[in-house]
Amino acid sequence: MPARIPAGPIALWRSQAGHAVASADRCPHRGMRLSHGFVRGEALSCIYHGWSYGKTGNCLRIPAHPSLTPPETIRVATHDVEESDGIIWIALGQPAARPPRFEGLVPLRSLTVNANVAAVEAAAGAKADPEGLVSPSQHPQEIRLLLAPQDDQTLIHVLLDDKSSPSRRIAASRTAESLRRMAEDLQAKVQAS
Amino acid sequence: MKLYDYVLSPSCYKVRLMAALIGVKLEIRPVDFHPGAEHLGPELMALNPAGSIPILEDGDLILTESTAMLAYLAAKAAPEWLGSGAPEETARIQQWLSFSHRLTASLGGARLHEMLLRPGDIAALQAQGIAALRELEAGLVEQGLRGMRFLASDRPTIADIACFPYVALAPDGGILLDPYPAIRLWSRAIRGLDDFIEMPGIHRLHELNPEPQIEPGAA
Repeated sequence: MPARIPAGPIALWRSQAGHAVASADRCPHRGMRLSHGFVRGEALSCIYHGWSYGKTGNCLRIPAHPSLTPPETIRVATHDVEESDGIIWIALGQPAARPPRFEGLVPLRSLTVNANVAAVEAAAGAKADPEGLVSPSQHPQEIRLLLAPQDDQTLIHVLLDDKSSPSRRIAASRTAESLRRMAEDLQAKVQAS
Repeated sequence: MKLYDYVLSPSCYKVRLMAALIGVKLEIRPVDFHPGAEHLGPELMALNPAGSIPILEDGDLILTESTAMLAYLAAKAAPEWLGSGAPEETARIQQWLSFSHRLTASLGGARLHEMLLRPGDIAALQAQGIAALRELEAGLVEQGLRGMRFLASDRPTIADIACFPYVALAPDGGILLDPYPAIRLWSRAIRGLDDFIEMPGIHRLHELNPEPQIEPGAA
């Protein structure tokens, strides 16, 4: 699937054996987005000409030249990935530390907001704690937000208590939709003033 | 059963897709929608004074609304696509069938503007399209939390077929699908169904096809 990190767009994919991999979202052959591609086994293949890449970014196969072993120089950039408690963390460069653990919380869903982090925090009525979690003042027991700025947008990862029932989870998803509307209204007001 | 069809029309594709999925043979009558505007000519206006396609003709039954065609095909050949009859499921199917018209107006309007240069306020069409996609995404997230992969049930229904084509082709109207992970999973579930057929711009899941093996020197 396509995703964005500060280093640029990535294709985030899971190999058949279950490894999450973050590859640059551009095939070095013709520039096609690799996130339009497909996963077979332990490789991500480009939708355009089928060049396939392994977990470390090296080109494994060029279908138009079946007998050729692709040279080491054909590769896509990859980023270190760590997966814990249902959250996939991507490191920019060499990871300085392990990602934080959020005991007792599980991820619910991720939403893109057309507003910056300040507008999302204003809508939530709270700022991020040292671990990066926002506890919305109106719903402190209900949800936690993990905010990732993306240019002029913000990606909100919604987390909640891992013992929440399905109906609580559905209610939390609706709460997150309301927060998004509030943040976008606030952002629009800031831009209009 | 004769379908007056245009290959690039998502609404026509809904009917072709439904028929393929449930094994109904259609007689396809191609319509020169663009550039010939044959759908506005006397022969087709006689069948459908609204001047739209698709049109499905079966004996003296003439249908001009694609959702009615989906219901007709399913009722004839595969009633499980109409849902189980449980009240909530019935309501959800009707909800998404009605909602599908908003996708046609917004995402479809943006697509016609961008592809065939039809008049329209492209910014407004795109904003309405994004609002509709967000509703669909939220609906699919909630279904996932109920343990269901499709819009009204854990199996596909006519509601999924009614909503799928315009959503899958949203990028034709300049609307990215990147921000919608639940829509992505749903689209993959539909594109992975047995007997799924393609249209230009919507392909089946490549990973389900066997990897082509070319012997060196065979070409």
